[in-house]
Amino acid sequence: MTDENRATIRVTRRFSASAERVFDAWLDPKTAGVWLFATPTGQMVRVEIEARVGGAFCFTDRRDGEDIDHVGHYEVIEHPRRLVFTFAVPKFSAVATRVSIEITATGTGCELTLIHEGVLPDYAEGTVSGWTMILEGLTATL
Amino acid sequence: MIAGPDLDSTLVALADPTRRAILRRLSRGEARVTELAAPFAMSLNAVSKHIRMLERAKLVRRRRLGREHLLSFEPAPLNAAAAWIEEQRTLWTARLDALDELLLAEDLAAARNDEKEGSSVD
Repeated sequence: MTDENRATIRVTRRFSASAERVFDAWLDPKTAGVWLFATPTGQMVRVEIEARVGGAFCFTDRRDGEDIDHVGHYEVIEHPRRLVFTFAVPKFSAVATRVSIEITATGTGCELTLIHEGVLPDYAEGTVSGWTMILEGLTATL
Repeated sequence: MIAGPDLDSTLVALADPTRRAILRRLSRGEARVTELAAPFAMSLNAVSKHIRMLERAKLVRRRRLGREHLLSFEPAPLNAAAAWIEEQRTLWTARLDALDELLLAEDLAAARNDEKEGSSVD
């Protein structure tokens, strides 16, 4: 499994909170419902989290009277370092993508790296470096 | 979250190193098919197939000049793909910002509680 090579989107962020708290915020329905798939104009009407490997989740955000489900299941739960889950928004696309987060403790806080793969169709050679290179390289020459 | 059919064809076209190399060459200026094919260890026919894919994705435009076919780079679909990728990245950044705010608010509330109770329990 070469997560790295199939990565499409990668975001890194530092938190002053501990790795434990940041990790728990992904799996605690009360906390996750506030920030994870919430939108400023939507209303999070349902959050179901089955926090075990193979367990499912469903976040329902009501936007303009329309219920938008965010669904997936957990593939890796390694408290408080690593979390991997599949993710799809059936309303928009049937394609399930995969989100991996890695949390490293840094002093009193932590650093989180998120990789969202399969956001784009899954191509053998469509690596993130290839992507970044082509997109940046080409736009730079214009 | 929606990748439209146009975006899909852009992404498929970009997913191959030969096609990326062709685009890189064309981003420097117009070229003939034979010129494009020269650096590659593959038949002219194979290169032509790649070019046709790029044309279908509207990343490459072909114009005829007498008997010659000149190819040029069309950046518009690429900009759409870049914008879409950037949008996805922005989405995650915003979510993580919201998480950070939430945790800081919790800290603040806890600190206020501690003050009230006169204790310093973590």
